[in-house]
Amino acid sequence: MRAAIGVLLVLMLVGAAAPAGAQRGDAAAGKGVYDARCALCHGETGDGNGPGAELLSPRPRDFTKGLYKIRSTANRTPTDEDIFRVITEGMPGTSMPAWAVLPEQDRWNLVAYLKTFAPEMFKEAPKKVELPPDVASSDESLARGKEMFEAIECHKCHGVQGRADGPSRPELQDEWGHFVPPANLAQRWTFRGGASRTDIATRIAVGVLGTPMPAFLDAVEKPEDVWHLTNYILSLGPGRPAYATLVTVARVDEAIPEDPAAEFWEKVTPSAIPLMGQVIVDPRNFNPSITLVSVRAVYDDTAIAFHLTWDDPTETKGDGKQTFPDAIALQFPPTLTTSTERPYFLMGDGSEPVYLLRWEQGKGVMAATASGPGKVAPLEGAEVAGAAVFEHGRYRLVIKRALAGGEGRPTFQPALFTPVAFQAWDGGAGETGTKMSLTSWYYLRLEEARSNRRFVIPPVVTLVTLAAMVVVVRAANRAR
Amino acid sequence: MRKALTTITAVALLSGAAAWTLVARADAQGGGTVEVTVKYNGKPQVDKIKVNKDTQQCGTEAVIEKVAVGDNKGLANAVVSVPGAKGGKLAKGVIDQKGCKFVPHVVVMNPGELEIKNSDGILHNIHTYSTANAPINKAQPKFKKTMTEKFDKPEVIKVTCDVHSWMLGWVAVTPGPAAATDENGVAKIENVPAGKQKIEVWHETLGKQTAEVDVKPGQVTKVAVEMKGK
Repeated sequence: MRAAIGVLLVLMLVGAAAPAGAQRGDAAAGKGVYDARCALCHGETGDGNGPGAELLSPRPRDFTKGLYKIRSTANRTPTDEDIFRVITEGMPGTSMPAWAVLPEQDRWNLVAYLKTFAPEMFKEAPKKVELPPDVASSDESLARGKEMFEAIECHKCHGVQGRADGPSRPELQDEWGHFVPPANLAQRWTFRGGASRTDIATRIAVGVLGTPMPAFLDAVEKPEDVWHLTNYILSLGPGRPAYATLVTVARVDEAIPEDPAAEFWEKVTPSAIPLMGQVIVDPRNFNPSITLVSVRAVYDDTAIAFHLTWDDPTETKGDGKQTFPDAIALQFPPTLTTSTERPYFLMGDGSEPVYLLRWEQGKGVMAATASGPGKVAPLEGAEVAGAAVFEHGRYRLVIKRALAGGEGRPTFQPALFTPVAFQAWDGGAGETGTKMSLTSWYYLRLEEARSNRRFVIPPVVTLVTLAAMVVVVRAANRAR
Repeated sequence: MRKALTTITAVALLSGAAAWTLVARADAQGGGTVEVTVKYNGKPQVDKIKVNKDTQQCGTEAVIEKVAVGDNKGLANAVVSVPGAKGGKLAKGVIDQKGCKFVPHVVVMNPGELEIKNSDGILHNIHTYSTANAPINKAQPKFKKTMTEKFDKPEVIKVTCDVHSWMLGWVAVTPGPAAATDENGVAKIENVPAGKQKIEVWHETLGKQTAEVDVKPGQVTKVAVEMKGK
């Protein structure tokens, strides 16, 4: 028995040592794959200066420095598996796609080839980081995690609520002198190295090489604090937003508050809408800042109101040169019909304009019309109410107007599938005009008013059926 | 066989010890001191940045001295070393983060350990830019008053803090005797081997320059170097 365990242990050791010792890939074979798949961004010489690099943020990695962001090691050398995993799974929140489509051997060959760009950096063997034993989440762990989060000042870069809005944000640069934003800890589906417990704990422990994110393993009070921090970070936002396909506008009887922070809004179910960069007309936005808007919508007898929540690291009025006012807009067709014809989703065109409910920092809420990308004009005499609040890297906004419309303004009706699209600008990131985030057409639907007939008809039907049964039974009995 | 091995070991140890005493004696007897005055005829280069956080520790304005010129045009924060000499006996390197500045601005040390202090009591991160030594980026939160890092290979290492991007310091790791100039541009290099020596002056903004000096044992040899502008 003991001998068997011994053999097993030896086998395990050999198994674990094999990947480090023997190279699984062939660098020469990897070059072909690299030149075809990777060089466009990372450059033929691996210096991160491919033809596509200019358009990307964060920029593609320069492999010649041998600094790898995502490592499971305590020293600077990543394991082959670390590089293999990034190639296979890509880097969420960046332009690096998942290359799982490539045959596995190709990916190992790539690993071998990448290492040839900085052979000096791979002379030192990778040293796996030793994380303390995992600590499951609990109220105590979350409290300790929050305490540590504040003590080690994660908020300096990541912000008090983790929304990447810390005071050091504008100063952050990577090894190459390019601006690099801190991670938005409330959107962990964008974490570059994955969002599992181990991924997060490892990033905290060893840092992200080539960026300002330092290693914290020796910089927490007790090693297990790494897990308390992980638990706390996991509590800051959802693992993945539940993206909506239809926005349901709930009917309410209470008064609809115009204050976005009112408790009322907490009770309304949000719909998460993903936004993309506008890349159809110049100037394009290849690296959109705002990628998610949470929509809550309600209506009553006379009015409809939209409550929008989105992350923006800076509250910006803009200087008109580098920065511009933050803004957001909901877009509708000017008249609502049952037809499937809709105006051009990118702010309409000359023949078919769109109607906008818009908010802009410094100007507030307004109704507007647009007849093409960036061709926005305010709508006179259209009353819109609402307000926005900004707190810890997040905007919340209410836009409210009458259900009934008019010239160029839609009238919202229950049960009608109503086209809606969203557009957002992070002015602090230089977004303005057509440089924006946007969606294609979505639908929203006003819940039909629930009639009281549902309390009357089913009992009546039940009674009638019962009566009919009694009649039938009686008739049958009589016939016997 | 075993006897032979013992003999070889003993001989090796003895000769090693003999060589060491010889070198040590040569150093003690033949070493001199070089007092280098580094001058710069140009203007000081100073950047000022508004500070919007940690103002209690950092103040409201950060002063970045790219070129610090003192009285009599003395250039501060220049590293003066003797590239031809080995076996430096400098004190252990110590750098502090105080007032959101690296103090001293330039640490001169022999290969070995650097003690890193955080007197500010706020989060700093030690982020080094080096090629010969492994670059590090380690957090040093308020409760971590001191930590130690090893720099084994000679090179000049840039040190920054990403939390306070104006913070900039330098660690000059030299194998031999070296020193940094004070605010008057004066540096005293001790234990310089006697004879003709090349002196190298390095400054973060103004680059490198060299001078020749004839070192006399047990004496202070003065030399002045004027840095050219860049």
